[in-house]
Amino acid sequence: MNKNIFKYDDMKRSEHMAVRNHVGWYFWTHQLLEVTGPDVTAFLDYIYSGDIASLAVGRDRYTTMLNEQGEIIDDVVIMRISEDTYWVSTLYATKADDWWYYHQGDFDVEWTEITEDWQMLAVQGPKSKEVLNALCGESVDSQKFFEIRENELDGIPVKINRAGFTGEKWGYEIYMSPDDLEAIEKAVDAEVVKAGGMRVTEFQIMAWTLPTEAGIYYMRDLAHTNPFETGLDRNIKWDKDFIGKDALLAIRESGPEREMVGFEVLEDDYYIRAKQYGGPGEPVFIETEEEEVGRVSKLVYSYVKEVNNGYILAKKGTLKIGDRIRIHGHDCIITKKNWLV
Amino acid sequence: MSRKIDERIPQDSGAGTTIKEYVALQSPWNRLISYQEAMHYISRFESVLSAAAIQALRIIVPDYAERAQMMCEDAIQRLYMTGKYYGDDDGFGIHPFMCGEYPGALIGDKGDDALLMCGRCNDFGTYRCEKELDVCDWDIVGSELCRTTTMSLQGQAKAAAERRPGGPTLDYMMVEAKGCGDRHCRIIAENRDKYPAPPHELWQSFGPAVTDDYKKYTEEEDCVDESMMFREECNYHFVNGTNNETDSSNQMINLSTAASLYVLPAISEAVKRGYVTREQADHILHCVLEAAGKAMFGERYAIKGLRDWMGVPNSIREDGRLLAGLIELQLQALVCPYEIEAFNEKECILVIERSYLEITGTKDLPEAHVSMWYGMAKTLINAQWALWEEDSPEGKLRIKIAKRIDKFA
Repeated sequence: MNKNIFKYDDMKRSEHMAVRNHVGWYFWTHQLLEVTGPDVTAFLDYIYSGDIASLAVGRDRYTTMLNEQGEIIDDVVIMRISEDTYWVSTLYATKADDWWYYHQGDFDVEWTEITEDWQMLAVQGPKSKEVLNALCGESVDSQKFFEIRENELDGIPVKINRAGFTGEKWGYEIYMSPDDLEAIEKAVDAEVVKAGGMRVTEFQIMAWTLPTEAGIYYMRDLAHTNPFETGLDRNIKWDKDFIGKDALLAIRESGPEREMVGFEVLEDDYYIRAKQYGGPGEPVFIETEEEEVGRVSKLVYSYVKEVNNGYILAKKGTLKIGDRIRIHGHDCIITKKNWLV
Repeated sequence: MSRKIDERIPQDSGAGTTIKEYVALQSPWNRLISYQEAMHYISRFESVLSAAAIQALRIIVPDYAERAQMMCEDAIQRLYMTGKYYGDDDGFGIHPFMCGEYPGALIGDKGDDALLMCGRCNDFGTYRCEKELDVCDWDIVGSELCRTTTMSLQGQAKAAAERRPGGPTLDYMMVEAKGCGDRHCRIIAENRDKYPAPPHELWQSFGPAVTDDYKKYTEEEDCVDESMMFREECNYHFVNGTNNETDSSNQMINLSTAASLYVLPAISEAVKRGYVTREQADHILHCVLEAAGKAMFGERYAIKGLRDWMGVPNSIREDGRLLAGLIELQLQALVCPYEIEAFNEKECILVIERSYLEITGTKDLPEAHVSMWYGMAKTLINAQWALWEEDSPEGKLRIKIAKRIDKFA
């Protein structure tokens, strides 16, 4: 009972470490919204907190969509496909669709969900560039991070975005027509195996352990938080108007009430609930059990550092790196929230 | 008989039963019953009805294994078809890259919360999922149902996987069940390539799990008794690990029952397989439901408790308004529109929107309610009284509560 679902699982370990040491590929199609129109840049700048106007054609940006209270309701990657066309990669398309419609106002803009028109494979890890160069018509050597380019893979037209959700310096996302998926999967798999890698099949690796190890969030981590609490305020473009700006300015003035901190569980096996499975997460107490200072947002495993790692959303200033605490009777320590540096 | 409607506070209790107006239920005597309490009440009532209905199935198909297997086969097929034609991946937070059968767990997780079956998801992965429930109102129905509900997940999972082919399969099993006396219900789904186990029949999807040592057993002090949507610590929202979020206003219209989803369809399946004729099945069903209805108020204190709960004034003694008032509350809790044609000491007549009482489209569920209500009339009021369907307009169920002499009752 309570045996660690990550630590002893050789399959999860091998998939995770393939990405860290060699290369791993996986089916990683997200929901995709194509946005166009004369006001598209102004519209996206109003909807998202990041700087859209300065985004060059062919480049991407990670940003957040906020509500009027400054809470994050979605985090997305926006790709500028042409002067007046953007792709928004999300896992919350239905919510985005409603939200955009509600806030469209006089913006002359149109959008379509194109999820079914494009499949996406992720190729991640130190040897991913080698894999892509072996497969693609054009070399990806000069392609910058968060840059999307047209290319060919085994003669099939594709879009290749240098990006990823793993914290790897070298990682690519290949966009293709669904008709070409099978052929490209076959070609990518063969080349990845040749490079000493493998296919990643486990959801927990692609969505949880790899990103968490790099301090990256997966949607539920961010629910009902604001960018100051989660350290995403660095990406905010302050000299423009956007939804949630007034609330964020007030928070900036008064200071955030909470902060996301890293932590490790120091025992191999444990019973600690985390928000990644739904629900409110395990309460975190310090000194006296009367004062709850936070909730466990995420708890997975770092196969690189061989520790149980995760995040706690805590009252600001109550938990500091190095603090020893007990969560549901288990010894834990507060850490920074990136296990790759 | 008079068509008079007595003075009621309010006169139109139950009118406009839509979620927007639904802050509370109102008895005919203006006793307000909170939305949350109403959910708990109707959930348990429908479970009692389901527990009675399954006795009919036990009579029709006496062999446990045969009966459970038939229920499982029926459930997996129907829920697969439901998932295939009405599957809502975005609505459950199932992402496009989620290939395989594990997203079935997301559907189950949300469904549990809506049915007040509170607990927690302990594992959610491509090759293994685990859900643990602390509360299940269906725990009185029978262990065959526990086996069958597991197959509904299997069917939904199969449908979800077909939309995104190429992922691994999962074998959904209920390895602990409150209906069997366990502290929790525990569903563990395992991929058989990764966690091999001998093949089994559908009805034997009861474990043991290969990954039993991974399970997280929640001790009594950490158990919950309310769904997330009714818990302050969850901000009165259900939210799963993939950010699917709904509040309680979404849930009442989603209430389904064991009888509507599993038991009555299984009886129809038994008829199809030739165990009994439709007439015999209906007769058996009527007998057990009538008896269950009588048992509800055989104990006099149950009547006293009900009167207090509904705020019935002392001036109202033993007459049909007691039962009509209770049925009104049940209908309101089910968000089932109805009209009051008569409400007085001589007779009460309610005209109910039939399709709403079918709940999940189960055509014979309204009749099941009528049988149970008939039995309730005998003990809640007295044996002079009866409840029957009479002159129903198209698409309606018109029920009458009045004194009736029936030499064959």
